[in-house]
Amino acid sequence: MADRDEIAEAYADWRIRCNENDRLRRMLRGWDRVVHLVATDTGDRFTVEVRDQMLAELAGGTDAVADLVVTATSEDFADLFWGDLNPSEKYMSGEITLAGAQEDVMRLDAMSMVAFLDR
Amino acid sequence: MQDRECEALIVGAGYAGLSAARELVRAGIDVLVAEARDRVGGRVWTTTSPTGAVIDHGGQWIGPGQDLLQKLADECGAETFPTFTTGEGVEWRDENRTTYAGLIPTSDPAAAADGIEAIFELDLASTEIPLDAPWDAPDARARDEQTLGSWLAATVSSPGARAIITAAVKSIFGTEPGELSLLFTLFYLRSGGGLMNLARTTNGAQERRFAGGAQQPALYLADELADRVLLSSPVTAITYGADTVTAIVTPPESGGDPVRIRARRCIVAMPPALSVRLDWSPPLPGRRDQLSMRAPMGSVTKIHAVYDRPFWRDEGLNGQVVSDEGAIRVSFDDSPPDAAHGILLGFIAGDECRALDAATPAQRAQAALADFVRYFGPRAASPLEVLERHWPAEPYTRGGPVAVFSPGLLTGFGPALRDPVGPVHWAGTETATEWCGYIDGALSSGLRAAAEVIAALAR
Repeated sequence: MADRDEIAEAYADWRIRCNENDRLRRMLRGWDRVVHLVATDTGDRFTVEVRDQMLAELAGGTDAVADLVVTATSEDFADLFWGDLNPSEKYMSGEITLAGAQEDVMRLDAMSMVAFLDR
Repeated sequence: MQDRECEALIVGAGYAGLSAARELVRAGIDVLVAEARDRVGGRVWTTTSPTGAVIDHGGQWIGPGQDLLQKLADECGAETFPTFTTGEGVEWRDENRTTYAGLIPTSDPAAAADGIEAIFELDLASTEIPLDAPWDAPDARARDEQTLGSWLAATVSSPGARAIITAAVKSIFGTEPGELSLLFTLFYLRSGGGLMNLARTTNGAQERRFAGGAQQPALYLADELADRVLLSSPVTAITYGADTVTAIVTPPESGGDPVRIRARRCIVAMPPALSVRLDWSPPLPGRRDQLSMRAPMGSVTKIHAVYDRPFWRDEGLNGQVVSDEGAIRVSFDDSPPDAAHGILLGFIAGDECRALDAATPAQRAQAALADFVRYFGPRAASPLEVLERHWPAEPYTRGGPVAVFSPGLLTGFGPALRDPVGPVHWAGTETATEWCGYIDGALSSGLRAAAEVIAALAR
């Protein structure tokens, strides 16, 4: 189990790597979205905003209407952001779920795989 | 010659024809369905092997968003179960075997990232394609002049990334990327929710299978239609006027009398390339006929190797392969839900299928087993049995899994895909807007064609 601080720390690291990655920046073009993260074990909620091809800082679960909702265990969120977890594997096993419009799911799916591979 | 009459004749009892027939019957229309084969289901065909394994020789999967097929499966009680995905896949590249977790082989992370970005760019571009009129897409002409192969050569510099995409495309379309119009490719991807979606098992087009085989819902529809379905009844000629159609059924050599069926409307529920093998009188309009000349069937062989158990699972493998060498370059674990057998399913697609066209089934099986040994070790050499279906040699299919549209088809001839010719209407998965090429698309195409006929008969 990972607490809020651990997830926030891992995300901060992931965010810097994503925002410095030219390929990811290209893949985020024209895609401003609000993404909610829900940890299935702790019930913790977070909000990530994507704006102008950049990931914003992690916020506590906000009331902003989500375009996408990602669910995973708190541990998997932390491992994902540290780059220790292959998101494609967890998505394939059903342990990570994505809910949203098909194009948004496609974007998040692809960018998270690239973030893992380019780590 | 025997004479029969009906209001609407349907040619072909695949999922498109059966779906159209059911809709027409529900509207109170008198229907006959003429099917050339001795079975229904078209490109979906389930048999039970000598060792008792349920084998789908054709279309076999159901995934999220395929709502018409899911509804039909629910209605007839056809159970589905998840495709086996636990463990790692095998990647074979440059004569080197590695294993990988997730969707995309990762032995070369830079190539994998290039591959994902390329898939992403295709999927993003596909969202611009209007499904009901891809010829109106932005840059339609320029895109229809290119092939997916030329796009890959110009856009994707990494050979590893091209190899990953090529392996996926070959098994999805049964062709090489250089044979596919880029515009058609983008249309097809949009129609099925994107290349990533079409390549996926979980959360994608290969998510689930039918415990009793994918033909089960077709058999259910045929049961409901009862004696309206005429099996072993190949239509060989169609004569049409303004409001009448006469079809000649020439029975196969096994016997039976020729039948002349008169109808007010006709739905031809078969791939374009097969529809023009009928003897049309008067000849079909040039645009429809020439469209059919530009939509060849893909080249695919399905091979099932049946073992006493799924031994690859013991080594943490999920049976999936992405390879750049050999006859089989994509495979799946096709074992039954209770794993009473272990079954490896391999696709021989595109150039490899053509290279083995003149081979005997035993020779193709030998090539497949050599590949399985390379991917899964020596135990793969000794299956209980090998079953194959070489679709290019199927008389009433002539290839698969789908018709592929050549450059220039959509922009030059596109509307002729669905535009009726007098009293003749067109169905088949190739005419679908959603899930084109899939069972779900076949079902929706039947509903669309039936709606056209219902409207025409009401006039």
